[in-house]
Amino acid sequence: MARFRPVNQHSESVQVSAIEGTYMPMGHTATAEAGSGGLTATEHRLANGLRVVLSEDHLTPVAAVCLWYDVGSRHEVKGRTGLAHLFEHLMFQGSAQVKGNGHFELVQGAGGSLNGTTSFERTNYFETMPAHQLELALWLEADRMGSLLAALDEESMENQRDVVKNERRQRYDNVPYGTAFEKLTALAYPEGHPYHHTPIGSMADLDAATLEDARAFFRTYYAPNNAVLSVVGDIDPERTLAWIEKYFGSIPSHDGKPAPRDGTLPDVIGQELREVVEEEVPARALMAAYRLPHDGTRACDAADLALTVLGGGESSRLYNRLVRRDRTAVGAGFGLLRLVGAPSLGWLDVKTSGDVEVPVVEAAIDEELARFAEEGPTAEEMERAQAQLEREWLDRLGTVAGRADELCRYAVLFGDPQLALSAVGRILEVTAEEVQEVAKARLRPDNRAVLVYEPTAPQAADADATDETEEEAK
Amino acid sequence: MTELAPMEFHPQPQAGEPKPWAFPAPGRGTLPNGLTVLRCDRPGQQVVAVEVLLHAPLDAEPAGLDGVATIMARAFSEGTDKHSAEEFAAELERCGATLDSHADHPGVRLSLEVPASRLAKALGLIADALRAPAFADSEVERLVRNRLDEIPHELANPGRRAAMELSKELFPADSRMSRPRQGTAETVANIDAAAVRAFYEKHVRPATATAVVVGDLTGLDLDALLADTLGAWTGSAAEPRPVPPVTADDTGRVVIVDRPGAVQTQLLIGRTGPDRHDRVWPAQVLGTYCLGGTLTSRLDRVLREEKGYTYGVRAFGQVLRSAPDGTGTAMLAISGSVDTPNTGPALDDLWTVLRTLAAEGLTDAERDVAVQNLVGVAPLRYETAAAVASTLADQVEQYLPDDYQATLYRQLAATGTVEATAAVVNAFPVDRLVTVLVGDAAKIKEPVEALGIGEVTVVAAE
Repeated sequence: MARFRPVNQHSESVQVSAIEGTYMPMGHTATAEAGSGGLTATEHRLANGLRVVLSEDHLTPVAAVCLWYDVGSRHEVKGRTGLAHLFEHLMFQGSAQVKGNGHFELVQGAGGSLNGTTSFERTNYFETMPAHQLELALWLEADRMGSLLAALDEESMENQRDVVKNERRQRYDNVPYGTAFEKLTALAYPEGHPYHHTPIGSMADLDAATLEDARAFFRTYYAPNNAVLSVVGDIDPERTLAWIEKYFGSIPSHDGKPAPRDGTLPDVIGQELREVVEEEVPARALMAAYRLPHDGTRACDAADLALTVLGGGESSRLYNRLVRRDRTAVGAGFGLLRLVGAPSLGWLDVKTSGDVEVPVVEAAIDEELARFAEEGPTAEEMERAQAQLEREWLDRLGTVAGRADELCRYAVLFGDPQLALSAVGRILEVTAEEVQEVAKARLRPDNRAVLVYEPTAPQAADADATDETEEEAK
Repeated sequence: MTELAPMEFHPQPQAGEPKPWAFPAPGRGTLPNGLTVLRCDRPGQQVVAVEVLLHAPLDAEPAGLDGVATIMARAFSEGTDKHSAEEFAAELERCGATLDSHADHPGVRLSLEVPASRLAKALGLIADALRAPAFADSEVERLVRNRLDEIPHELANPGRRAAMELSKELFPADSRMSRPRQGTAETVANIDAAAVRAFYEKHVRPATATAVVVGDLTGLDLDALLADTLGAWTGSAAEPRPVPPVTADDTGRVVIVDRPGAVQTQLLIGRTGPDRHDRVWPAQVLGTYCLGGTLTSRLDRVLREEKGYTYGVRAFGQVLRSAPDGTGTAMLAISGSVDTPNTGPALDDLWTVLRTLAAEGLTDAERDVAVQNLVGVAPLRYETAAAVASTLADQVEQYLPDDYQATLYRQLAATGTVEATAAVVNAFPVDRLVTVLVGDAAKIKEPVEALGIGEVTVVAAE
């Protein structure tokens, strides 16, 4: 859910929880810093098909390892939603030469950090290591890529099934509006579409998954020729490549991965889809998902800018209108969920203020979107939106881990890691006319799925009823 | 198909030669207006982080106006003598900057991040905000209403609700620490522009403030830049404000915040302890990590990886407020969520972990891994300017020397198993822990009572 004025989050932009993780880190996660100027990356391919991307940066004695497997929840079949993510957990339960929680123990014991995450379109595993411990991370990743099934057993399957079910409860079922993303996704992508369900999956399907499902999943998708490995930071590229050849080179490639189901949809939904949720939530809310151009296109970058102008900060049109002027909303923001295998989603989240009714807010939003489509962004709005997206890119490329992840992303989804290094330039090239064009074509009432929350419990009427508020313990 | 892929296995590799890394030492100076400045050049960090600390602690808020520091912090970005609220936000975003303002027990903190190329302009905006904030009636009124709207959302969040209840339980009602940092609906409703301005005039001045600037400063004339911006802010000198003593009641007991129908129980188990000025701190950091710092620590080894009761439970120590004389206070706590039917068994296991730890102590292997992680991750953790700036600012806020973090790493490496054991056992004594459970009382009360971990009371969620 989107929180308002959260401590470590700068904008009111919506945080869409499309990614499931393995591990719940609790330390402070700082935002990253810049360094995109002068970055380079080299590409290599092992005989077994493993693609490798290396990028040197000797400013800090750290090295990031990132491994993307080209498999996500879009590859799951009916009755087995959540399997890709559950499987990702199993990747941390040991392999031929690594006992039990050895992946965590060895990496953390070496002064490294690690995790794995699953989204619609990919699964990633990553370690950030002190530079002199890089070889250990490569050895660990190779061991599980080549030999996970040697260690995978019923006990870890049952245990991680319970862990993932508790992850689902903690992040979705036990928090207000927690299932909004799942509900809107199901509305925006039709029944049977590969993106109709989210990576966390359903409780029933998590219960139904078997050890044999997990084994089959590994055999089908976890092969060197279905992965990209990037290593970024204080590295010696020649020696790093030799280690990669040594540890990964003998893992057999494997074909036979079925193509994901076709995610093609018309550019525009053609009608407004709508669901009203009556639930015990603290306030009314209006959420919507607009169908937008695929990631990797110039139109998608234009859409990103449009959403930033409309709802990307405290000077955005919707924030100014709803929060500052009309004072009908607690917060209002737009976010972009970039997707390659299906239309991207423009994500609107508005929680209403006091007793304000949803139609009041909705009318104002429609008015602003129509006005924007009519007049397009001003030169100053373009400058602001581009400056914000540029800084976000500087942040992402500013840590070795962020850079490693982006290199993998562009290699897996677009076949060219170099595109990561030029992404910010592409955003700066987009014109105001292109932004207006995409807004006009896509940000329309007949191209959205809408979720309306109506609280079931009576809202607190007087101040005395809520004489206490939160404290952050951590 | 064979289960074992025919890959060639190699033995686990040995580490290479570690490269030296040290927590950066900042330069320290004072501007003519009395503002303390810490600076730290981090080549390659194109996004510069600036932290401004204002000595406007929550205990300085007038009675009945809890939340005024928060509203003031937010109002800094709602207009100045040069820009309206909308213009100010627009100008900041035009720099590609982000600004967070936040009030906590030690004071108010403004955190700016901006690409180095636009640092001058962004610093100018922040300086305007501190020097000549507009605090317009209509903007403050809007911030107050907005804050009132946020409160029900926070009450509905299990983690935040638990933290609020623990503070209320631990500290006496007349202590500011017992009450929500950002105020209650009752107190926030009393805040207006006059109250915000009065608080500002009384507690915000350059002589008691500190700015921390970290990032790639190559080619920047930071002195000139500061003189033109934060250097133009003026204000009187001030008497140091005493830090009130903190007392806490950690009598072992359980409070259930009732959320009928909740599928999980949010647990927060805590008490207070010494802050970083105490010699025990490094050993306590080490021992607390062994108890619940990560997925392979004692708590998660049982509760997550053996039993599957949770996505993760963590133990931590968090400084609440420090004092120059070293009499500060930290919160020591264990937190996480467990599924409702397993709430009793999970707490039973948690207590067993604590008792076993007290009876048998940590192992040398556990201590070694913890030291290797805590010390080894430092270069990763401090890769960004924002992370370095935040820690430097924490040190200033907690009256610690500028080389505190660098020293802490050396102390951690020198701390033995016995010291770490003693510290964590003292930090989490099984009979002196206040347990807050946000969950379905009808389902969890009886099993929790049966554990004998303290008297159980139930309170309504709202």
